[in-house]
Amino acid sequence: MSRRLLVTVFEDELDIVNATRTARENRYNIVDVYTPFAVHGLDEAMGLKPSKLGWVCFALGLAGAVAKLWFQIWTSSQSWPVNVGGKPLSSVPAFVPVTFEIMVLFAGVGTVITFFALRKLFPGKKPHIVYEGATNNRFILVLEQSDAAFDLRNVRTMFEPFNLVAMEERIDKEKK
Amino acid sequence: MSEVYSILREPLIGGNKTYNDVTNDVCSPLERKPTIAWWFAFTISFTMLIAGVISVTYLLTTGIGTWGLNNTIGWAFDITNFVFWIGIGHAGTLISAILFLFRQKWRTSVNRSAEAMTIFAVICAGIFPIIHMGRPWLAFFVIPYPNERGPLWVNFRSPLVWDMFAISTYFTISFVFWYVGLIPDLATIRDRAQSHFKRKIFGFLSFGWNGSNRTWSHYEKIYLLLAGLATPLVVSVHTIVSWDFATSVIPGWHTTIFPPYFVAGAVFSGFAMVLTLMLIVRKVLRFEEYITLHHVESMCKIIIATGGIVSMAYGTEYFIALYSGNEYEKFTFINRALGPYSWSYWIMVSCNVISPQLFWFRKIRRNVALVFLISIFINIGMWFERFVIITTSLTRDYLPASWDSYSPTSIEIATLVGSFGLFLTLFLLFARFLPMIAIGEVKGVLSYGRKNNGEHL
Amino acid sequence: MSEYHNVKFEREQETIPHRGIDRRDFLKLSGFTFAGALLGGCQAPKVDKAIPFLVKPEEITPGLSTFYATTCGGCNASCGIITKNRDGRPIKIEGNPSHPISQGGLCAVGQAHLLGLYDSHRLKNPTMLGKETVWNDIDSAIKNTLKEIQTNNGAVRFLSNTISSPTQRNTIAKFLSGFSNAQHIEYDALSVSAILDAHEKTHGTRVLPHYRFDKTEVIVSVDADFLGTWISPVEFTKDYHKGKILNGNNSKFSFHAQIEANVSLTGSNADKRISISPNAYKNFLYDLTTTIEGGKSSIAEVNELARKLLSAKGKSLVVCGVNDIELQLLSNYINHLLSNYGNTIDIETPSKQYRGNDTELQKLISEITEGKISALFIYNGNPLFDIPEGNALKKHIEAIPLSISFSERSDETSSATTFICPEHHSLESWNENEVRAGIYSLSQPVLQPLRNTRSLIESLNAWMDTPKTAYDAIRDEWKNSVFTMQKKENDFQKFWDKCVHDGFAEVESGKNTVQEFSKQSLQNISRSSETTAMALILYPKISIREGKHAHNPWLQELPDPITKIVWDNYVSLSKKTAEHLSVKENDVVEITAQISNERRTLKLPTHIQQGMCDNVVAVALGYGRKGTERFTNIGPEWFEAKPTVNQGELVGKNAAVFLQFVNGSISYNLLQCSVSKTKEQYRLAATQEYHSLQMPEHLVPAGSERRPIIQETTFGAYIQDNSAGSFSKHEYESIWPEEHQYNNHHWGMAIDLTKCTGCSGCVIGCQSENNIPCVGKDEIARNREMTWIRIDRYFQEEENTFSVAFQPMMCHHCNNAPCETVCPVLATVHNEEGLNQQIYNRCVGTRYCSNNCPYKVRRFNWFDYEHGDEMQKLVLNPDVVVRERGVMEKCSFCIQRIQEAKIIAKSNGVALKDGDIQPACQQSCPANAIVFGDMNDKNSELSKRMNDKRYYKVLEEVGTRPAVGYMTLVRNSDEVNNV
Repeated sequence: MSRRLLVTVFEDELDIVNATRTARENRYNIVDVYTPFAVHGLDEAMGLKPSKLGWVCFALGLAGAVAKLWFQIWTSSQSWPVNVGGKPLSSVPAFVPVTFEIMVLFAGVGTVITFFALRKLFPGKKPHIVYEGATNNRFILVLEQSDAAFDLRNVRTMFEPFNLVAMEERIDKEKK
Repeated sequence: MSEVYSILREPLIGGNKTYNDVTNDVCSPLERKPTIAWWFAFTISFTMLIAGVISVTYLLTTGIGTWGLNNTIGWAFDITNFVFWIGIGHAGTLISAILFLFRQKWRTSVNRSAEAMTIFAVICAGIFPIIHMGRPWLAFFVIPYPNERGPLWVNFRSPLVWDMFAISTYFTISFVFWYVGLIPDLATIRDRAQSHFKRKIFGFLSFGWNGSNRTWSHYEKIYLLLAGLATPLVVSVHTIVSWDFATSVIPGWHTTIFPPYFVAGAVFSGFAMVLTLMLIVRKVLRFEEYITLHHVESMCKIIIATGGIVSMAYGTEYFIALYSGNEYEKFTFINRALGPYSWSYWIMVSCNVISPQLFWFRKIRRNVALVFLISIFINIGMWFERFVIITTSLTRDYLPASWDSYSPTSIEIATLVGSFGLFLTLFLLFARFLPMIAIGEVKGVLSYGRKNNGEHL
Repeated sequence: MSEYHNVKFEREQETIPHRGIDRRDFLKLSGFTFAGALLGGCQAPKVDKAIPFLVKPEEITPGLSTFYATTCGGCNASCGIITKNRDGRPIKIEGNPSHPISQGGLCAVGQAHLLGLYDSHRLKNPTMLGKETVWNDIDSAIKNTLKEIQTNNGAVRFLSNTISSPTQRNTIAKFLSGFSNAQHIEYDALSVSAILDAHEKTHGTRVLPHYRFDKTEVIVSVDADFLGTWISPVEFTKDYHKGKILNGNNSKFSFHAQIEANVSLTGSNADKRISISPNAYKNFLYDLTTTIEGGKSSIAEVNELARKLLSAKGKSLVVCGVNDIELQLLSNYINHLLSNYGNTIDIETPSKQYRGNDTELQKLISEITEGKISALFIYNGNPLFDIPEGNALKKHIEAIPLSISFSERSDETSSATTFICPEHHSLESWNENEVRAGIYSLSQPVLQPLRNTRSLIESLNAWMDTPKTAYDAIRDEWKNSVFTMQKKENDFQKFWDKCVHDGFAEVESGKNTVQEFSKQSLQNISRSSETTAMALILYPKISIREGKHAHNPWLQELPDPITKIVWDNYVSLSKKTAEHLSVKENDVVEITAQISNERRTLKLPTHIQQGMCDNVVAVALGYGRKGTERFTNIGPEWFEAKPTVNQGELVGKNAAVFLQFVNGSISYNLLQCSVSKTKEQYRLAATQEYHSLQMPEHLVPAGSERRPIIQETTFGAYIQDNSAGSFSKHEYESIWPEEHQYNNHHWGMAIDLTKCTGCSGCVIGCQSENNIPCVGKDEIARNREMTWIRIDRYFQEEENTFSVAFQPMMCHHCNNAPCETVCPVLATVHNEEGLNQQIYNRCVGTRYCSNNCPYKVRRFNWFDYEHGDEMQKLVLNPDVVVRERGVMEKCSFCIQRIQEAKIIAKSNGVALKDGDIQPACQQSCPANAIVFGDMNDKNSELSKRMNDKRYYKVLEEVGTRPAVGYMTLVRNSDEVNNV
């Protein structure tokens, strides 16, 4: 299905934050906000829930650590036990450093991959730029014209205090 | 154009920049033709690199005998360079991760190139453990892979195996961290790119980034997570490197204070290297307004701090040696200061303990020429610190009959030069093709120390 | 044999394979192996092709060793040896434990002369005027000339080193009897002629006494290096230690004083070492004589020695190594006064090891120079190199109508003779030696001759037209003489077989008739006037001796026990003398001397030697041998490498130019010379840089003492308390649970520092057993020697005391080995018998293990080291891997021997006995200093030593828990002067 979208463009981080907040307070349906850099306060202005990636990170780290520790103990005391410098076959204290490194490796790389997967980012993906300058100096708020009550004039007046620079309607073909 | 400056803080970025200015300034070096200065620097670095390549080739075809090592001194330049380069790397991670966690906004202008520096330094470092092997073509033996030999695994008690894991992890995480940070900027470049070809390349590299805030919010999260992981990682890496020596039985190596000592030393040397590079970059690429004297000063302050820790470590080391009552330990340290290699010891002390003290003076901290000079001194001093620890300890250990001396061969020197060649070459290419400053992050702190009345045009 | 000739033996520098043994070499080697296998049996028929076994010779089983008892050809001492053959070729020489002379010991030279067998420079064929030819031609040519000489009564002279083989002597005698004017002259490069002359004067019999060090309690040696190079070092070392037994309360410990100027091996082992100039030797002995006669000397030491000697009448021994009749007469007299003759000196069954006669040699030299000789035979000697004026004889010898050398190579002498009729290598031929009256040591060939050579006996018989093989000649000789001297066996064949098996025969020989001691000849000996002139000492080195083995790279690279220098000879002088001449180490000095009113000079680098007498310089003989340019390219080739010898130069310089005849015997001490500094520099290569257990003054930590590496005490203290001199024991606490048990075997080693003389036999033994390459001078200078066992040597010099301690150092096979923990790839691990193993093909060469070894006994293959030329690779031990470049290696406790012994025991279904396994270093140690064994076997020799109060471990405090231990060094001196 296709949607009617309203693209509003701002020039400053404060403006976009305030604009977004007001839009949400006025129960406008915010599709997304596009900014050249991470604008603080925008998340709660949009009403986004805090990212869950932290738990993913923790789980992966734990998995890596356990697996590696087990592997070290297995290789040195089960698979092929050898007497090295008179030390015990599973000299666990000596296994800590590698365990730690693998934990960090799994957690770090794993989380990033999850992130890319989550946001469907991958090398060579065709970028979808809503408005020229989105990655330079423009702050874009996209609203969905859901119901008939939607009135461009109201929107314009609502955004007046936030130095709205441009505003245009679009029909969104692609599946969002 | 009315601008009101904060009376409390001077802005991080000078010259009243707009978002667009930032983009233009940072991207312009990538879009204009390379300058004479760049070509000059590149030619020199590349020549150095070639010298290194030749010497290593000779080494690999002829044998480790082409180095000045002997039965008593099994490591000298090779591992010294290794530890030196790893140390250099640490500043990058520190700036990008630790200062991020501490919300040090000034880091934004330098973190990108500092992280790049980390990656290149780790590459340089990683070469040495491989070429220092007698049979590098069997280097893969240190990787625990299933094999037909039993299977025969590796010795997880060996600090060299720890190194192998630490270095590879460190490299991977640093690279990921750096690249994740790079993606939004790559998108920026993509969107302003003139040539179709360039758009294609950066389009590919920028993962289809479009600045969606839904992405940004996850992005911020993983950036924080990576910073949180990289911080203990960077500490662990140099700790493990220091264990190469601390876990041994050789007087002068067998020292429990090595981990903190080495980490501090690493940050110390790393910041010196960051300064050396940044001071050149800001001049050559005209980034004075991004890398301001304020940045230079902050880094000088960190150098005073870490330098202090290092000096403290030198003192402690000495005290413990003499206090321990261990004959061999005592002798080793007296021998360092007064023995045949005392010259290297005193180079180390004067460069690492004395020269940073000048940074107590604000005048000197803000004098670019002096800061540059001192940063060079510190680099030299820190290289010698590793040389002193590794080589002079080995020259005279337990049995006087096996005492011996060491002097490098031309091959070893060429290899060291070559590693610098590699480092600089990579850095120059980076400066040529990627944004040296994190555009996105700088824009984020543009308002810092500046009353923002929304008037930017 | 022909395929021997097809293979090119000359070392081709440019075709040196760069990785161990390449395909071509392998094929060559296998070629040898097959042929060698076929020829292995002494009597195996000659073959013309290399073919694999069709019918396997009975004593050859591939992979199994065969052993032959024979006699060492390394020097005149004629020690008994056992050769280990693999696939028909000898790969190792060891002492024959049952041999009456060497009693199982073997010195470095003896073990190394195996390599000489495979020397590619040995002549392939007899030569006529430098051109190779065949025996028939050369024989006819020689016979014709001999006929002429016979007809016109030309003078025929046969010059040789001491020949102790009766068969050879008789054959020579028979041969010479065919001429009206013929004589057989014997001489020795390291002459002891004066001893024999002196006994002729004092006891009316010109013999070399048999010195009984085993029976002595007080030994006074004047410059006699009897533990190192003098007469029969191995025999003397064995006997010497029979007089030094530390066994708690029933210990006996002889007192040994050494009077010498240079630091000799014997001197460094002496209980008391008195350092005086050779100028003073005579007066010292003279004073000693008078003091013993009842007089009193102005020198306290002399009185002290006299007292000690008198207190041990009949149990004392005074030996003098100075080849001077007067000094020998004096020492004979002292021994006579102390009634040592018949007790500690046996001249009734004398030694036959040396009988050279310098007076006759001198006479011959004048005959030669006057051109009176028409035929000169030179056997087993190199006079042009090693006798006074030797070089001057060249032109005269070339002028002699018929000059024949039997040399194995074209050397200084043989290159001047018309014919060279090369003699076999001692391992290739039948021979025998009457080592001592009644003791015959037999030599049997352990392989067919590698070259077209012929034994002396066969050559002479051929020229007498009475062809006879050496085998037959010797067998007949034994049938008619040796066999008849014994009663035990009455079937000759049985007797012969037993002798061939044992390698020797002990029989009853008639006692040598000896006259009453006559003082007559001492009348005109008087005290000589004291001089302080600079004196020059020409001494033989442990390794190179008179130079006979100068072509042997093992010996050239064997560190001198005292100076630790390899590959060169040099001018040793004391620190004071050096300061006085203002020379430093490696400065080249010029020695100048007037000899027979002719100015002789020699330029050599300086070595400053602690403990040396001032105003004395010492130079080693035997260097500067022709052909040693061959060693230019020994060692690795890379652009910073320096050649072992500069292009076209020789290894060292020949010091024989300073030899001269003094009262009828060759004098090795030049009492008047001058030394001057030159501008040149010459780098000497040594394996040890620092020589003391005391730290350098300016680096000594407050309140620290010498490093606790060598435990040392005096015999007095030992008797009081057997643990005297022990370091405080360190309680070792592990943070780890004790998880690894060694229940079956737990190998270990104990080395007795009191016994070890530092002779370095073990070093060569190890090199030969474990395929250790020679690395060349430059590598040694870079401290990259490859020897698995090294002998650490420490000096302690105070105003009047100078002591030396030797400490063999090899892998300690630590239970908690620091090397193992740090190896990333498990290339060095512990096995269940407590061995620290090195797995070559797993090693990646990080050298971390070596760095972390407190003993620094690990060795790294810095390059692909050459294992000699292609032919010398035949000496490689097939049981030991040849290591590749970039690999770490070290002492393995000769694990191949351990395994072999275990397999044999198992196949015989018996348990391993203590002593079944002897590492190469232990097997031939002349001093029995090294004992290897099972620590779990409570009755093993090792366990006994470990329970001894003297037993201690080096660097125990590091917590490595080594399996190698040492025994306190005990000296019979008044106060302990710790090294």
